[in-house]
Amino acid sequence: MPFLDRRILAHFNWSLLLLLLLLAGVGILNLYSAGTLRQDQGVTTAFYYQKQLYWLAIGFLAILFIIPFDYRHLKAVVWPLYGLTLFLLVYVLGYGTAISGATRWIDLGVASFQPTELAKVSVILLCAALLARMPGPLSWKDLGKILILVAVPVAFIMAQPDLGSGLNILMLAGGMLLFKGINRRILFTFLVGIPVLAPITWFFLLDYQKQRILTFLHPQRDPLDAGYNTIQSKIAIGSGQIWGKGFLEGTQSQLRFLPAKHTDFVFSVFGEEWGFVGCAILLSLFCFFLYQLVVVAGTSKDSFGAYIASGVFFYFFWQIVINLGMVLGLMPIVGIPLPFFSYGGSSTLINCILLGLVFNISMRRYIFTRE
Amino acid sequence: MHESDPYEPSSKGYLLLISLVVGLFCLILLRLWHLQVLQGREYAKEAEQNLLRERSIFALRGLIRDRDGEILAGNRPAYALALVREDCRDIQATLTRISDWTDITFQKLEERYNSRKSRVKPFKPLILIPSLTFSELSHIETRLMNWPGLQIITRPQRHHPLAPVFSHLLGYVAQPTLQELRDNPSLQLGDTIGKRSLERALDRKLRGNKGKKILEVDAQGRVLKERIVAESEPGRTFRLTIDADLQRHIWREMGDKSGAVVVMRPNSGDVLAMVSKPGYNGNAFVEGISEQKWQDLLNNPRDPLRNRVIQGTYPPGSVFKLVIASSALLRETIPIDKELHCPGYYRLGNRVFRCWKKGGHGDIAFQEAIKQSCDVYFYKLGEKLGIDAISDYARSNGFHQKTGIILPNEHSGVIPGREWKLRNIGRSWQGGDTLNTAIGQGFTLVTPLQISRYVAALVNGGHLLKPNLLTESEPSQQGRLPLSGESINFLLESMRVTVEEPHGTAWRLRTQNATIGGKTGTAQVIKLKEEQRGADTETIPYRFRDHAWMASYGIRGKQKYVVVALVEHGGHGSSAAGPVVKSVYDYLFP
Repeated sequence: MPFLDRRILAHFNWSLLLLLLLLAGVGILNLYSAGTLRQDQGVTTAFYYQKQLYWLAIGFLAILFIIPFDYRHLKAVVWPLYGLTLFLLVYVLGYGTAISGATRWIDLGVASFQPTELAKVSVILLCAALLARMPGPLSWKDLGKILILVAVPVAFIMAQPDLGSGLNILMLAGGMLLFKGINRRILFTFLVGIPVLAPITWFFLLDYQKQRILTFLHPQRDPLDAGYNTIQSKIAIGSGQIWGKGFLEGTQSQLRFLPAKHTDFVFSVFGEEWGFVGCAILLSLFCFFLYQLVVVAGTSKDSFGAYIASGVFFYFFWQIVINLGMVLGLMPIVGIPLPFFSYGGSSTLINCILLGLVFNISMRRYIFTRE
Repeated sequence: MHESDPYEPSSKGYLLLISLVVGLFCLILLRLWHLQVLQGREYAKEAEQNLLRERSIFALRGLIRDRDGEILAGNRPAYALALVREDCRDIQATLTRISDWTDITFQKLEERYNSRKSRVKPFKPLILIPSLTFSELSHIETRLMNWPGLQIITRPQRHHPLAPVFSHLLGYVAQPTLQELRDNPSLQLGDTIGKRSLERALDRKLRGNKGKKILEVDAQGRVLKERIVAESEPGRTFRLTIDADLQRHIWREMGDKSGAVVVMRPNSGDVLAMVSKPGYNGNAFVEGISEQKWQDLLNNPRDPLRNRVIQGTYPPGSVFKLVIASSALLRETIPIDKELHCPGYYRLGNRVFRCWKKGGHGDIAFQEAIKQSCDVYFYKLGEKLGIDAISDYARSNGFHQKTGIILPNEHSGVIPGREWKLRNIGRSWQGGDTLNTAIGQGFTLVTPLQISRYVAALVNGGHLLKPNLLTESEPSQQGRLPLSGESINFLLESMRVTVEEPHGTAWRLRTQNATIGGKTGTAQVIKLKEEQRGADTETIPYRFRDHAWMASYGIRGKQKYVVVALVEHGGHGSSAAGPVVKSVYDYLFP
């Protein structure tokens, strides 16, 4: 069978592509605004949006590169990929380059590379391959096997320390398990067990992580330092009111009240400038986008593809939930970006690669019907 | 080809994903509605006002009072002009305008702005002018509203109302250095800390703790509301043992002489006055002293920055005979009634050591030798004692060590010995060195405070007390003179006759209705040539003139005082230092 015949192209998921282009486009516009600062003298604009454009271009090339190969070949490489991930994660702990206190990067000369991003892909693929072979609903044994395989890279990632990515991977794997279906009794045990065990994890958190949780619980505890971000973000978004202040008109962000406004808190800039109406539209776009991923997961013609799609779904879902929850003051501050909005090369690229897989699965959903 | 994989999507899983998306949509939409529609107006208002800023509430620096409550170090309001960069629309124009308002050039202001901007956090005021005059203040205050970002900050500023009389006692406060800022996170630019003397020694307690307030400000930086998060705690007030009137009296009496005067209560170690001249104006440092003035202070040949009471080290001259005599009494080197002959000189090997009295004192006994300060008697005594006994005794009774007074940077002085000379001079001890030491010349160096403490110990029955400046401190004994009561009385009596009997060198101190004892001293600055010795003080250049000492005690009833004076380049002890000490007794025993 040729790599790309006409039928496959005909089944290309144009609505997902459209949503991706819309989100990325709005994201770039918003980054342009977020980079605008009122400095000592006059207004200057940072170049985040330009760099983000370059990375998006690379991401689209990656999608084009991924689409032709039948994703089912990937089953053969899930284990080597997992092994490589572990090796790189260990390597980065020992030899990585530290940026703002965390060792996450491998310097490749021309660009830096975060093995954490690779871990996201390899965990999704490994879980999908394993789940496809397991009879559902999951038993204790199967569940334990997957959880251990996921926990090892997550532990390395959290040791970097990168709480956000670690949580993201853990939660996307958990989502995939739920999607597969878990024995009712086991599910019940977890529902009871996690609230009981959660306080114990407190002792494993680093000081700044504890600080964030405490600050979330009492934002006024420290209104000018840790709680500052949440309060400022709420003020920025709230002050947008119904119609927003207009593009490039956000005073809160231009006056530098907003922290990390081109990365984790980028949505605050959007909320201030576009108001409730703009936010509602953007939220709808995100939800349609997620819905498209659900459709792919639901219509895939083999379970491996369905699980990959569900993994990608959860990857984006948790990021959106946690980031918006944090920015809107519903959750503690965890460093998780908003897909397509937050500035970040590696994450933009990995977003595209994962979507490339989904396109790949989506295009091939009819190939089995002929046989 | 891949194997066929008849896959039925799990309807439960599908449903789960759909409901998660719907749930996300509803939750976030609700929250957005809540923030942007329901509370939107309040947030918009807060955003307009541009919010919360943190400010320190300055803690009032603790007062320093004299023993009767008179304020020696207090605070007065100072008005600083500061700039909040983020509120300022045009920094160049604003600085130009400030330069119009004041005498400060634009270049100077810009230089201050550039050097300080990296050390001030965003939205915090950067102080451009630490202290405005009243005319500048009223002029600027009315125009402030047109210049967003500018603000006047009222701060308490340290003020020493009686500077320079108390300059060496109080020291001064000044802006912290970069290093001090780094070491002490509670300090910020614009704060002051104690840098010298008591202001430094008591700094941590005087400083108190700053408070914190949260300001709500609008887009122009105008304060709308303030909320105090933590009250400031003012620094502690200290009361000194010093009598400010006496201190001023001595300051006046000293005229423009350089020197030091200490008045002490022998029974408690309380210091009633501590004058060191010349002084300086401690208030000049508060806002940062100009480079020119600082260089002037540093290069002034009279060294106004030196607290001569604790940092001036001088040869004690004949005052040291009290220490030699003590050592001799302790060791019973000589019967006190045995007379030695003074022909006016003493020959050691081929060197001749002279007595200050050209014709000599003839046959002279111990007490008379102290009274007339006979050098030859003490050459002989010193030779009998030997340098080891002398330096052992002096070092273990308060010399060659700090007195431990609360003031920083005290000097310990020098009592030479064989080992000391070898280490510091590089030559071995000679017999002549012992003779010089016996009359307080040569290598021996003492501070006026050490002498005061020694005399105080004689008067109080042998207790070496730590000189004390704070009324709250209990007397602290650091040692005991190893002398018998009899010996101590002999020394006190010798000092008394020095004042009260004919031919006594300290006769100037005679005061009615009070028992005064004294010992004069003349500390050689350089070895004067033979023909200059005995010449009139006025004919010798100032810097070659001898230092004049007077160590004394005064008793009337229960009142007991020790007064020690040193006048630099004053010539003879009695004539230069005597009148100052006498005026102190006139003040103390009116």
